[in-house]
Amino acid sequence: MNRVLTPHEIDAFGRELDSLRQEVLDQRGQRDVDHIRSVVRTMRYSEAAGRFLLHVGIDPVTFALGSGALGLAKILENMEIGHNMMHGQYDWTHDPELDGETYDWDMACAAHQWREYHNFEHHTFTNILGRDRDVGYGFLRVTSEQPWNPAHIIQPFVAVGLAFLFQWGIGAHALRLEDTIAGRQPVAELWTRARPFLAKGARQLFKDYVFFPGLALANAPRVALGNLIANGIRNVWAFAVIFCGHFPEGVRIYHEQETRDEPRGAWYLRQIHGSANVEGGRLFHVLSGHLSHQIEHHLFPDLPACRYPELAPRVRAICERYGQSYNTGSFRAQLTSVARQILENALPSRARPARMH
Amino acid sequence: MNTIATSVPHVARIASFALRTTQRVSRALLLDRPFRFWVDELAPAASRVELRARVLSVVDVTHDVKTFVLAPRVWPGHLPGQWVPVEIEVDGIRLRRCYSISSPPNDPHVEITVKRVPGGRVSNWMHTHLHAGDFVRLGAPSGDFVLPEATPAKLLFLSGGSGATPLIAILRDLAHRRALEDVTYLHAARSRRDVLFASELARLETLHPGLRVVLHLDDESPRLDATQLWVWVPDLAHRETFLCGPTGMMDAVAPAFVGLEGRLHHERFVAAKPAAAAPGAGALIHLDRSKRSMTTTGCGTLLDELEQAGERLEYGCRMGICNTCRCAKRSGVVENVLTGAISNEPDDDIRLCVSVARSDLTLAL
Repeated sequence: MNRVLTPHEIDAFGRELDSLRQEVLDQRGQRDVDHIRSVVRTMRYSEAAGRFLLHVGIDPVTFALGSGALGLAKILENMEIGHNMMHGQYDWTHDPELDGETYDWDMACAAHQWREYHNFEHHTFTNILGRDRDVGYGFLRVTSEQPWNPAHIIQPFVAVGLAFLFQWGIGAHALRLEDTIAGRQPVAELWTRARPFLAKGARQLFKDYVFFPGLALANAPRVALGNLIANGIRNVWAFAVIFCGHFPEGVRIYHEQETRDEPRGAWYLRQIHGSANVEGGRLFHVLSGHLSHQIEHHLFPDLPACRYPELAPRVRAICERYGQSYNTGSFRAQLTSVARQILENALPSRARPARMH
Repeated sequence: MNTIATSVPHVARIASFALRTTQRVSRALLLDRPFRFWVDELAPAASRVELRARVLSVVDVTHDVKTFVLAPRVWPGHLPGQWVPVEIEVDGIRLRRCYSISSPPNDPHVEITVKRVPGGRVSNWMHTHLHAGDFVRLGAPSGDFVLPEATPAKLLFLSGGSGATPLIAILRDLAHRRALEDVTYLHAARSRRDVLFASELARLETLHPGLRVVLHLDDESPRLDATQLWVWVPDLAHRETFLCGPTGMMDAVAPAFVGLEGRLHHERFVAAKPAAAAPGAGALIHLDRSKRSMTTTGCGTLLDELEQAGERLEYGCRMGICNTCRCAKRSGVVENVLTGAISNEPDDDIRLCVSVARSDLTLAL
C-alpha cells in the first residue's frame, strides 16, 4: 500500500509536482490553442451534420447517424470544451471565445453554479467526507465509510436512472437538496439555488424539444426524438467517465480532521489517492474530456487538458519513487469496479469495523 | 410623401426590436456561439463581433520603424492624434497594444507606425510576422491628445522618437485642410537615420510656408532639455504645445513649460514596463472599476491585503486552484507566490489569492 511519508518527503513530493506544473506553464502556447480550436471545429461540424441529417432525412439510417453525430457533438462540447474551458484552462489566451468565466455549456446545469460547486468545492475538498458533496452526490453510498441507510438498497437502480438523466443530476446538485432534507438549509435558500437551474433547464428543454423540432415542421417528432437520444448518449457517457474517475475500489476517502492545515504536498497526495485514471487511446481521452486522466486533472485542474497524457507517465514515476499508489485500469475494469462498489455498498457493511485514520 | 416619412422610423424601430429580440433569444438558447463560429468559418471578414482590419501593405520608415497600412471592414472614424488598440495573437496568446494612428481622418486607410522595441513581444512579432494580407483586430479609436475645436493660431509640435506618430497625423490633417498657418514641428531623434517621416516633412515644409521643421539630433547636438528647447523655439511662450515622447525626454523639457501648463498638451507613448520592487515594499493599488485606491504593505497576498483594506471579493479555495478570484491586472508587477513567476505584462490575468504586489497596481475590480 502507500508508504507513509515524512513531512520532509511530502514537501519534496509537492515540489516535484510543482516543477512539472511550471514546465507546462512555460510551454503553454500555440499547440494548446490549436488543439482546443480543432476540437471546437470538429464539434460544430458534427453538430451541423447531426442536425442536418435529423431535419431533412426520413429514413432510419439518417436518423441513427444524425442522433449519433449530435450526441458526439454534445459529448465534445460538454467534456473537452465546456468542462475544461470552465476550469479556466484557456483563460491565458485572452480569446473571448475560450474564456472560462463567460462560457455556458449545452446542458441543464447552470454554468455559474457549476463553477462554484465543482471548481471550488470538489477540487479543493476532494474526497473529504462532509466537505466534498461529489462523494456519492449525497444519495449514493460509494464507500463503506459513508453511513448506510435503508434507501441505499435501491441505489443500483438509482444509479442506472442517474446515468440516463445525468445532466439533470449535475444541474440539481447545485441545489443542496440533501441539506434541506436534513434540515441544514432553509427552504428559501433552496429556492434561491433552484431558480438558475430551473431557468437553464427550461431553456434547454425548449431548445431541444420545441425550437429545433419546430424548425423541422413535419419532421418535428423525429427531431425531438433524435435530440432525446443525443442527450441520452451524452448523459450515459459522461456518467460512465465521471464515475470511473472517483468511485472505483481503492480510491481513498478523507476525514476533515486529517486534512486540517495540510501542506501543498499533502493536498497533491490527496488528489492522487482520491482519483482514478482510465487507460485508452487518444480519441478516448478527448471524448472523455481527458477526465480519463482524472489524477492529472485533479493535480493540475487549470492546465490545458491535452497536456495530461504527457504528464501522466511522469506523475506515475514520481508516485512510484515515493511508494504511492496510482490507480489506473482499463475502462472495463474501472466500470466493473464502480458497479461492484455500488452493489456492495447498497447493503450495510458487515461486521468489519470502519477503518480508522 | 407623408406616409413614407412616418413609416421609415417605424420600420427602423421594428427592425432594431427584432434584432435585439433575436440576440436575446439566441443567447438564451446558446445559439450565439455557433452563430459566431459559422460566421468566422464561412465569412471571416464579415465578423461583427470584433473589428478586423486587413494589412494592405507594410512600409519601412526607418531601420527599426515600420508603417502598417490597414483596411478595417468598417471604421468608426478618428480624430488626428488619437490611438487605436491593436490586438494580435502571439503563440496562442492575444496581446493588445495601443498605437497612435499616424494617418489623418481623410485617408481612406488607417496607418499605424510601430518601432521595434528591444524585447517587446508585440512590436517584434509585428515587424517579423505581420505581412500584407494578414488580419489584425482593432479596438475603438480613443484619446484626447487632439487639437481643440478652434485651431490655435500658433502651434508647437514637439516629439521624441516614435512620439512623432500622433503629431504627424495632426500635421497631415492640417496640411490637408490647408490650415498650416504657423506651426513649428520640432522632432528629436537619436541620429539622422532615426528621423521619422523625414522626406515627407521636407516636402510639407516647401509646400506650406507656415510650417517650420526643426530636427534635433542627439548625436550632433547636446541633449534636448528646457534650455535647448528655448534655443530652438524662442517664441515658445506664445505657442500651444503638443508634446509626445519618451518619459526621459518629456521630463527633461518639462521645466520650460513652468507657468505655461495651460497651453501644454502631452501624451506619453511608452508605458514603460514597470520594474519589480523588492518583496514587501508597500504598494498603491488602484481598482479601476470601483475607482478606489488603497495602500498595502506588499507582504501578504492581494486577496488578504484587499480584504484587510475592506474590499469584499469573491474567492474560493485561497490556494490558487479554483480560479474564483481571477482578475485582470491592468498594469503593474505581481509575483505568483506558488511559482515565483513575475507578471509585468499589461492585462495579464492573475489570481489574487496567490499573487503579491511587487509594484503599484491597477486591477480590473
